[in-house]
Amino acid sequence: MYYALLITVILTAVVLVVAAYVIAKLIGPRSYNKVKGEPFECGIPTHGTSWIPLHVGYYLFAILFLMFDVETVFLYPWAVVIKDFGAMALVSIGIFLLVLVFGLAYAWRKGALEWK
Amino acid sequence: MEVRKPVIKSIPYDEFKDNETLEKLTKELQDGGANVIVGSLDQVVNWGRSNSLWSLTFATSCCGIEFMAVGCARYDFARFGFEVCRNSPRQADLIMCAGTITNKMAPVFKRLYDQMADPKYVIAVGGCAISGGPFKTSYHVVNGIDEIVPVDVYIPGCPPRPEAMLYGMMQLQRKIKVEKFFGGANHKEHKPIVVNGVETYEK
Amino acid sequence: MKLENKIFELKNFASEMAKLKSEKHFDFLVTIVGEDFGEEGLGCIYILENTKTNERISIKAVDSNRENAYIPTVSNLWKGAEILEREVYDLFGIKFLGNKDMRRLYLRSDFNGYPFRKDYDLSPENNKYTLEDDVEPDYTIEYTMDEEGHIQQIEHKLFTDDDYVINIGPQHPATHGVLRLQTILDGEVIRKIYPHCGYIHRGIEKMCEDYTYPQTLALTDRMDYLSAMMNRHALCSVIEDAMGVELSDRIHYIRTIMDELQRIDSHLLFYSCCAQDLGALTAFIFGMRDREEVLNVMEETTGGRLIQNYYRIGGCQADIDTNFVKDVKKFCEYLKPKFKEYNDIFTGNVILHNRFQGVGILSKENAISYGCTGGTGRAAGWNNDVRKNHPYDMYDKVDFQEITYNNGDCFDRYMVRMKEMEQSIHIIEQLIDNIPEGDFYIKQKPIIRVPEGQWYTSVEGSRGEIGVYLDSKGDKTPYRLKFRPMGLPLVSAMDEILRGEKIADLISVGATLDYVIPDIDR
Repeated sequence: MYYALLITVILTAVVLVVAAYVIAKLIGPRSYNKVKGEPFECGIPTHGTSWIPLHVGYYLFAILFLMFDVETVFLYPWAVVIKDFGAMALVSIGIFLLVLVFGLAYAWRKGALEWK
Repeated sequence: MEVRKPVIKSIPYDEFKDNETLEKLTKELQDGGANVIVGSLDQVVNWGRSNSLWSLTFATSCCGIEFMAVGCARYDFARFGFEVCRNSPRQADLIMCAGTITNKMAPVFKRLYDQMADPKYVIAVGGCAISGGPFKTSYHVVNGIDEIVPVDVYIPGCPPRPEAMLYGMMQLQRKIKVEKFFGGANHKEHKPIVVNGVETYEK
Repeated sequence: MKLENKIFELKNFASEMAKLKSEKHFDFLVTIVGEDFGEEGLGCIYILENTKTNERISIKAVDSNRENAYIPTVSNLWKGAEILEREVYDLFGIKFLGNKDMRRLYLRSDFNGYPFRKDYDLSPENNKYTLEDDVEPDYTIEYTMDEEGHIQQIEHKLFTDDDYVINIGPQHPATHGVLRLQTILDGEVIRKIYPHCGYIHRGIEKMCEDYTYPQTLALTDRMDYLSAMMNRHALCSVIEDAMGVELSDRIHYIRTIMDELQRIDSHLLFYSCCAQDLGALTAFIFGMRDREEVLNVMEETTGGRLIQNYYRIGGCQADIDTNFVKDVKKFCEYLKPKFKEYNDIFTGNVILHNRFQGVGILSKENAISYGCTGGTGRAAGWNNDVRKNHPYDMYDKVDFQEITYNNGDCFDRYMVRMKEMEQSIHIIEQLIDNIPEGDFYIKQKPIIRVPEGQWYTSVEGSRGEIGVYLDSKGDKTPYRLKFRPMGLPLVSAMDEILRGEKIADLISVGATLDYVIPDIDR
């Protein structure tokens, strides 16, 4: 199908990134000191290790976001092909969205959207 | 090619005070001569750099309030390109040290300067940053930040008026406009400066 | 006021202080002044106030052993004493028995010596700085005395191993200066905050001991630069009080009007920075725009925008400008409609209500115990305005309201300051047309000597009670000069206010407590 277009897009992306990196490496200013590699914490060296057990609320937040993000990603190809499929497409996407709305309502009732 | 003078729009070259330092600096940089193409590219890069210097929000004491006033509606440094103040040193080009640096703050300030990405510039705002100011005789004050970091522009005053701070910022813009970028200027080794037995900076 | 110090012996010091609090109801610890009394030893002066009758007394406690000076703590009676005793330990070396956190406050933990002692070497060779980071121990020491009189040291750990510690550090846009808050977090919830001050500690009080009295005035504007007039007012008042100088009415009027203009300036900046910290940058620009109008008025007379250098011992540097009265009246007319504008764009906002209402509650008992004066205390329901309780200048002759609320949350602290601006305009309007003729400066001798004794005077600054303690031995330089910081009790109260709140609330609370760091660190 449109493979030529796809390959061009991928190649442009790769070439742009690599070219930017190479040009900067060749002509940009260089300086390195030990402190540049350390994390920034308002000027004070960090305390303790970062590999500690994190609060589970962050995970919940991330999972919910991911779900709705993937839903959005699925909506894009549907929007492209809806003209060819007609009314059946509307019904099927309606069912898809309904399932996700039930999931959101369940999460809301269970209090997953509050921070505890 | 003769040396071009740095131009700030609508302010004549002779109105600025310290032109001799700038001319000496330019002569040093252009010692080997510059050919037309590289010189023009240099000017493009310098134009871009000098007109979009974003400074770090760094204000320790009274001069910080005048710094905020310069940013606000009446004096507005955004029209010079200093659009926003970045909060992280990795995203900032310029550190305007407004306020006294004490002995306890000195390592913090050094660390912030080290964490900034090149090219970076330092402006010492106010008497305290230039030499310790009214607190020179104190037991806990660093007598001038040029003992710790290389300073490009000094703005005297206690606190300097906002117009003085804008003038200092314009001087920094002129200093940047005479820099060299292409032709290996960035890869020269600079020797570190040693203070108190500690290497303080490499530029 | 002249201080008549009651001297308490160290062995029954703790019980006597407890009696003062419980029986005589002295529940507000105004300040603790550490002092090097020379041959008498090292000691402290405690200034206490009874919040019901506004009576003030002062207590002196001295330990003659200079190498190992110990005084029993009062931090179990007044919560604000914990951080004040840390300050005295840091600068003088007096250890307080029973204070759970006996660490240095302003200086690095590897600092040698106690700088405010009279035998400290101030030469530059002794006071070099290092660019190495300060390695802080993760435990703190509590000193206690057992029955035989031996000193025991108990170690308390500051952090456990699985604590997640971050620095809301010196360089941060929301800390209003260089304050470091070492925060222990549990997810988004704050478990404990350790404030570290001293990043702008310039040793002003020690420098003043070498300056003559007129020279000491130069540094006051640079402490809390937003109460510049009030700082100087407090210092001039204490020296004039001690010397017995009578000021003319014109001076009183001018000082009152300038103080109120400075208060409007400070509250406008509070409004702007509050909005900026929450992200509403439009309101920041609006507040600063109107602040420029105040600065114009003050600059015409004093010549300075931020550092005004206007008052001196005996009056003012110069008479008010001929346009002053007209400009102040024009300014008041300009500012009155702006309050509605501020309320429209910021106060009524639903996001503000969610972030401020019910957040960061400081109860009235805690406010008094910590000593949180100013707008913070008034928002908690405590009537602590120095202008009403210990009136000075024209404040007992003008009519104004003391604004108090009773929830003590962030929204109340914010509203207190907005309403105080309106009261300031009201005070100015009552005074501006009636400035009497007279001297603007009562001539003093070229060399000013203050008689021997101790005095303490306080003035209502923009963010609390700014007081100056002066101990004079009859020389032309002060023996000990101490400024009561307005912001130190606020910072020490932050830990208790914010336990269990989320980290975004730390920004709200920090914005509304309205402290200025050079005032804390001096």
